[in-house]
Amino acid sequence: MALDIPLMVFIAGLAIASALALQARSKDGEDGTRTMIDSGLVFSVVGLMSSGWTYAIHNSLLDSGESSMCASEGLVQCGSVIGDPEWNNLFGIPWGITGLLSFSLLFFLFLSLRMDMHAKWAESFTTYSLLAGLAGLPFVVFLIFVELTQVEGAPHICPFCTVAHLSLIGFLAAAHALRGRKQSGMWA
Amino acid sequence: MARRRRAAAPKGRDDDIRLMAALVTFGVTSMILMAVMLLAPVVKVGPSEGELAPDFSVQAYSGGEWGDFRLSNLFNKSWAPGGDGNWIVVQYIDTDCPYCWNEGELMSQLHSQWNQKVTFVTVVVELGIQGHDSSRGEVEAFRDKTPYEGCKTNSNCADRPGNPHSWVYIDDLNSRTSGDWELPGTPFAALLQPDGIVAWNPQQPGNHPDGEEMEGALQRLVGGS
Repeated sequence: MALDIPLMVFIAGLAIASALALQARSKDGEDGTRTMIDSGLVFSVVGLMSSGWTYAIHNSLLDSGESSMCASEGLVQCGSVIGDPEWNNLFGIPWGITGLLSFSLLFFLFLSLRMDMHAKWAESFTTYSLLAGLAGLPFVVFLIFVELTQVEGAPHICPFCTVAHLSLIGFLAAAHALRGRKQSGMWA
Repeated sequence: MARRRRAAAPKGRDDDIRLMAALVTFGVTSMILMAVMLLAPVVKVGPSEGELAPDFSVQAYSGGEWGDFRLSNLFNKSWAPGGDGNWIVVQYIDTDCPYCWNEGELMSQLHSQWNQKVTFVTVVVELGIQGHDSSRGEVEAFRDKTPYEGCKTNSNCADRPGNPHSWVYIDDLNSRTSGDWELPGTPFAALLQPDGIVAWNPQQPGNHPDGEEMEGALQRLVGGS
């Protein structure tokens, strides 16, 4: 599948978030903490946007049976994954909507931390962020399993779904690092 | 005695910014959702008239052997009213239900009259009623009208009214599709336009001429047979 512009934008977002996380590791104190929060924020924004994109693909597949937003043939494609009526939803809710809601929560937690790093609730928010990220991990594992083994004509890899999965993993790493900073006194 | 000064720890803001963060989050998420709606508007999926029929990907028996079947493969998305394309009858039955047993004859008649313009699909479910145990063998026998004890609870499938059915029968004995179709009971049959939009649902009699059944709906909507 050719790299299209939205996919390149999402990959660039993941690269920026990863670079910020690496940069944060080498910085001490408040500066490093702030950079790590920025990294998690970028991961969550990429997750939000890629989830929205998969939801748009879902709608266009329903509407016309095909989508110009992603390929429908080959190993790397969306048609057989997002278009599979049996696996493209969680209790009737499209995975794109589930992703949007989940990443909204993660975005809120990190945005709150970013806006007031020294708040009384900052420590509990780092814990909530880590727990919320961990809660999403089984779904990522399940969805990768579905892509590779369950959908029609499996295995398939949906690139935009993979971006969302990587966003969650990246966010989780940032949340873990932040919690470590808080507990070891490196927060500020 | 000189007082020791404690190092001043950084303090958080006096105002709670979480409400502001929640509002910003809501705004960002709303903007993304609006962009999605502009790119690809939401398609209403359901069994009601005017909605896109719920799709399913299941195993189907068309005589001889079972194979993959996906309802949406029958849809012609470029269909326009008055244009060419096969309409679709989706019928739900339970092979142990006496009403479904009797409807076998009506379905044979409808199929022989409309098969040039209408594709028939029968989905077999197993209602949670004592004695309504079914199996793929029973589904095959019900469709093919071959000897098998157990149709209509304790009748021989070969005695089913009507002819052997030549259209596809779907295995939904685990009721994976009936929730999406809001199945009210069996038998149930809906008529879909060639593009997959539900055109007639017997559960919405207010939208139809008085007392209209499937046969009348076919005449009114498909016509010309």
